[in-house]
Amino acid sequence: MPMKTHSLTPPACPMNRDDTAVTPPPGSWRLSWTLGGRDHSMLIERRACFACLGLLAVLLAVCLLSLCLGSVALSPRQALAGLFGHGEPMSVFVVQELRLVRLAAGVATGAAFSLSGCLMQTLARNRLATPGIVGIDNGATAFAVASVVGLGTSLAPPPMALAGAATATAITFALANDVGTRGYRFIVTGIGVGAVFGALTQLLMARVAIDTANAAYPWTVGSLNARDGTALTWLWCGLAIGLLAACYLSRAMRVLRFSDAVAQGLGYRVRGCRYLALVVSVALAALAVAVAGPVGLVGLIGPEIARQLSSHRGISLIASALSGAIIMVASDLVGRLLLAPIEVPVGIVTAIVGSPFLLWILLRPAPRFQS
Amino acid sequence: MLILLASLLLVSVTSLLLGAGDVGPLDAGSVLFGGGSDEARFVVESLRLPRMLVGMAVGMALGVAGSLIQAVARNPLAEPGLLGVSAGSALAVAIALVLGASAATLRVSVAQLGALAGCLFVLLMARVNGVGNDPVRLVLAGAILSGLLGALTSLLLLVDQRSADEIRFWVIGGLAGRRLDDLRAILPSLLFAGALVIMIARPLAALALGERVAVGLGHHPRWIRLLCVVAVAILVGAATAVAGPIAFVGLVVPFVARALAGPDIRRSLWLALPLGPIMILCADILARLLVAPSEMPLGVITALVGAPVLIAVVRAHRLPAL
Repeated sequence: MPMKTHSLTPPACPMNRDDTAVTPPPGSWRLSWTLGGRDHSMLIERRACFACLGLLAVLLAVCLLSLCLGSVALSPRQALAGLFGHGEPMSVFVVQELRLVRLAAGVATGAAFSLSGCLMQTLARNRLATPGIVGIDNGATAFAVASVVGLGTSLAPPPMALAGAATATAITFALANDVGTRGYRFIVTGIGVGAVFGALTQLLMARVAIDTANAAYPWTVGSLNARDGTALTWLWCGLAIGLLAACYLSRAMRVLRFSDAVAQGLGYRVRGCRYLALVVSVALAALAVAVAGPVGLVGLIGPEIARQLSSHRGISLIASALSGAIIMVASDLVGRLLLAPIEVPVGIVTAIVGSPFLLWILLRPAPRFQS
Repeated sequence: MLILLASLLLVSVTSLLLGAGDVGPLDAGSVLFGGGSDEARFVVESLRLPRMLVGMAVGMALGVAGSLIQAVARNPLAEPGLLGVSAGSALAVAIALVLGASAATLRVSVAQLGALAGCLFVLLMARVNGVGNDPVRLVLAGAILSGLLGALTSLLLLVDQRSADEIRFWVIGGLAGRRLDDLRAILPSLLFAGALVIMIARPLAALALGERVAVGLGHHPRWIRLLCVVAVAILVGAATAVAGPIAFVGLVVPFVARALAGPDIRRSLWLALPLGPIMILCADILARLLVAPSEMPLGVITALVGAPVLIAVVRAHRLPAL
């Protein structure tokens, strides 16, 4: 229903065309510009801006580290030279052929998991409701494994993962329909759905020959080792669209934290926003699963870090994506270096780091549970 | 009770008759009546029979442990596998193997110690901030804990390839290739736990009426809880040591037992004795037959049965208070 914002009589004082007279609220900047004869302006929160810049700097540093370190250690200068294609052929090969693809996969999956987690947390109004925990990742995994072991590699994993995630989401949300998404019951329902899909994955793996099972194995633990070019392209496209949608949604997401009545009163189409956010969140999770397998805990930790860094007023979608990427790249780095010749899958690293954190969220004293 | 015993008999005979090998039901049946070929006799007597007996023991242990832990946590969702008790004992075994222990004899006591640690940790969590009053929250914390312990176990397996080969098939849970020796190793602790359970069954029933009632009837709630936790740890540790971590049995069995016999633990505990083996043996038969030449992890089947029960209990409008 379109809102008529100018139905009231205009205020008695003449409209102040001089924008500089309007002082922005403390802690934020006001940008204003004129486009097509109309004045536009927006507020930028200083703190969110600084947080994003800081996270970006950390991300770049971690990326550089991840390009340098490995079984062949390179100095930062060598790594950068290799990145731009000059320097010794050896370092060029190591950086461009081996580490860069892995890094791209890590950044993209981390950002996608985290963004999807943040969106779902906000729309379910439940801090524990991330796709990894309510079983959506497991659904995507089961279908992706099915595409490898059942149908041959002719049908690519990404569409199958999307289908699986959609199925799991439909089941979980349908089961939660009368319980509501706010409480812990929703989460445990999701864990149950996830357990069923996990068992299905095992069932599929047990039915096929050992070679095929090995091809599908990375999807069950979560690893950046077996990333696949097509799936990565799908993920980057999805991430670009997802980020655009997130920018579009970020204002609405702020309001969705309140009750539906408040959001409607402020002129937002609640159902539409919610469906869009759900679709974006599920699609991002599925595409990321198709690349790296279920590393769902990133989707929980990333938004939490972003929330700590930013102010309470906004939903920090961009900061979530950045911190998710940092976590993913850093845990992959730790997993590669920890037991040097053996590689610890990134899913195990994030589980060991993330579970205590999850317990802390659950057990901490303040009843500030719902975001 | 009679019906349950009859169906337990039926299931166990079926598990002797059916299998993945060349020995068909008819051959196996003639072995039962003293005839049959040598091959059939070998398969039935030294492969399927031990497996069935071990399955029965594991089923009883898990079913009773599930009933006990639900009574002591007053929580219809509590389950040794979900709360991280099984994962704790799996981790303990993995640590022992990595540290150099390789004998199968060590396994049972180590697994029981790990299960005890897991139990105590869960009870500790239940005391924080009223988590114990909210059944769903406790289960959530347990699920997270068991995820953490599982990740640590896989990390250990990555570190040490030798022990990984030794327990890779044990970690996913199953009854394949279990022998009578395994059963003999856990039998003493099962008997001990059985004695404990008989001792605390009546006090537990009193405790279900509330702390004050139990005290008024002359029981000591703290001691009851402690003994109960020890019994759960012994049972789960023994079951895990033999068959690996198998989830959801301890959830489904008490659920069905309560539906059949009502909330009194003194009655439902007895029903858990046949129900646990029935569930394990059915799951084992399915695990053998579904992917015929190879075999499936037992935990997969129990999860497929148990997860819907979990969802049903969570969605029940009012969680039945225990």
